[in-house]
Amino acid sequence: MALATVPKSAAGDATISRRRAANHSRARAQAIPFLLPALGLVAIMLLVPFAVTVYQSFTSDNGITSSFIGLQNYGDLINDPSFVRSLANTFMWTIGTLILPVGVGLLVAILTNSIPGGRWLRFAFVLPYAISGASTAVIWGFILRSDGALNQAIRFFGLTPPSSGWLLEWPNNTLVMIVANTWQATGVCVILFLVGLQAIPAETLEAGSLDGASGARLFWHIVFPQLRPVMIVVIGMSIANSLRVFDLIWLLTKGGPGSVSETLAVTMYRQTFILSDYGAGAAVAVVLAIIVVASSWLYLQRQLKKG
Amino acid sequence: MIVRALRSALVWALALLWLMPVYLMVVNSMTPAKQYSGNPAWMPTGLAFFQNLSTAWTDSGFGDGLLNSLMYSLSAAALAVLAAALAGYAVVIMPLKRPTLWFWLIYLGTLLPLQIFLAPLFKAYVAVGLYDTNLGMILIYAAICVPFAFFIVRNYLSTLPTEITEAAQLDGASWATVFWRIHFPLIRSSLLAAFIFQFTWVWNDLLFGITLTTSPDRRPVMAALAEVSGGFASLGPPVTLAAAIVASFPTVVLFIACQRFFVSSLKAVG
Repeated sequence: MALATVPKSAAGDATISRRRAANHSRARAQAIPFLLPALGLVAIMLLVPFAVTVYQSFTSDNGITSSFIGLQNYGDLINDPSFVRSLANTFMWTIGTLILPVGVGLLVAILTNSIPGGRWLRFAFVLPYAISGASTAVIWGFILRSDGALNQAIRFFGLTPPSSGWLLEWPNNTLVMIVANTWQATGVCVILFLVGLQAIPAETLEAGSLDGASGARLFWHIVFPQLRPVMIVVIGMSIANSLRVFDLIWLLTKGGPGSVSETLAVTMYRQTFILSDYGAGAAVAVVLAIIVVASSWLYLQRQLKKG
Repeated sequence: MIVRALRSALVWALALLWLMPVYLMVVNSMTPAKQYSGNPAWMPTGLAFFQNLSTAWTDSGFGDGLLNSLMYSLSAAALAVLAAALAGYAVVIMPLKRPTLWFWLIYLGTLLPLQIFLAPLFKAYVAVGLYDTNLGMILIYAAICVPFAFFIVRNYLSTLPTEITEAAQLDGASWATVFWRIHFPLIRSSLLAAFIFQFTWVWNDLLFGITLTTSPDRRPVMAALAEVSGGFASLGPPVTLAAAIVASFPTVVLFIACQRFFVSSLKAVG
């Protein structure tokens, strides 16, 4: 999809004349001012804090005094049931995001691509994508409250809503928040799948239907394999996004009651800024970073291969 | 025929389901806050949208939040896009040693979760007096936006034929002149795509807003919305919903107006 190629190294070109080579080494020095604003911003605001967080995860730090304690923060985390719960929630979020927004997104892209007026219907799914996580939380908070719109609708149909409410009991709270996130995140999957669908050459589809494929068979054997590159991108992006969700959980439950609906992103925030346990918070952040980078591997490999 | 009808019915049902939260938000944001019965309205019961909004505006500094976010989004996205364009030019066009190393150094920032930057930034901001300042917010937002903008610019520049640069070099133009005269105009549309994307990102951020600011006249809009939402019970749901609509309005309009740019920058991610 993207046209990404790693710029070829100028140094490897044996045919350049000596004069041009001299020009090149001057040009190398000239490149530094061009690189500096971006590199400076990223290095000072992101890379240095990253290194500091990694170091901090090996210290005991209450925000005022700090001492080196090796791997103890990590050991404490493994023995902390609320961290294990947070890890389990994070896993639920990832699986839920892979099934719901990706699945519904594919379905909607295919259906709206094949019916008249699909363009306008698609808009309903794409619109929430432009809405922020905080606004999504406000809308869904209104829907999910015990006197909210969902329970009202359930009573309207003569059923009884769960007595404990939607956001007060695990695993219900995590599940309904995954649904709320699906509402917001499906749009981007629809857009990407549609780009993939429209890139399939009409001749491929014609050839398929001439060979007698139609409906589901045409989809599985002709369309689906062609969507593979887009699928990898959508899956990679969805995994990364599911691991980063913070706004929705923070505004809907603050990770609670207690810490039952926390994911790692929320646990880190609570440990650091609510409990002022900077060491433990840093350890959670490092665990999260490792999971994010490891799970983006599939996606990254693809980027590298193209480069 | 039946299959086709079923298909249409399914899409329509899903689309209505998806629009329902937006519908409920709009309808209930118009209910006068004092008359709110405690039960969500399914039909419009009033026209008090602006009254509700002004409650949010005066009672929790929501207007300040909007203006702050406008400033943060515009300046951070512009800074980031400009820095990214220069860096992309250096890495792709100029004969730089180890371009791949430089690429990964800058790009790394977008792979890591934001949580990994938070605590050291908070401490450093407090230490150097950037905590709760406009400059501090612009700097962190710009830094966060650089890697992705850089990625888009680099991808686009890599597709240009090398003859363009060579021809310009023969004329004896300096690298800066070549950048401003030749490459900058060529990458303008991908810069615009990156700008819109990053504007939206900054506008929608909550995490840095609640971590690095505290006073209402420095706080970005999503942090202000979080506070209005925290006062859900006291100000009443209609006020919170009205605030959420206004907070979402700029990005929704931008998104609809520039859908093409969003799609093209999303394509660049792949």
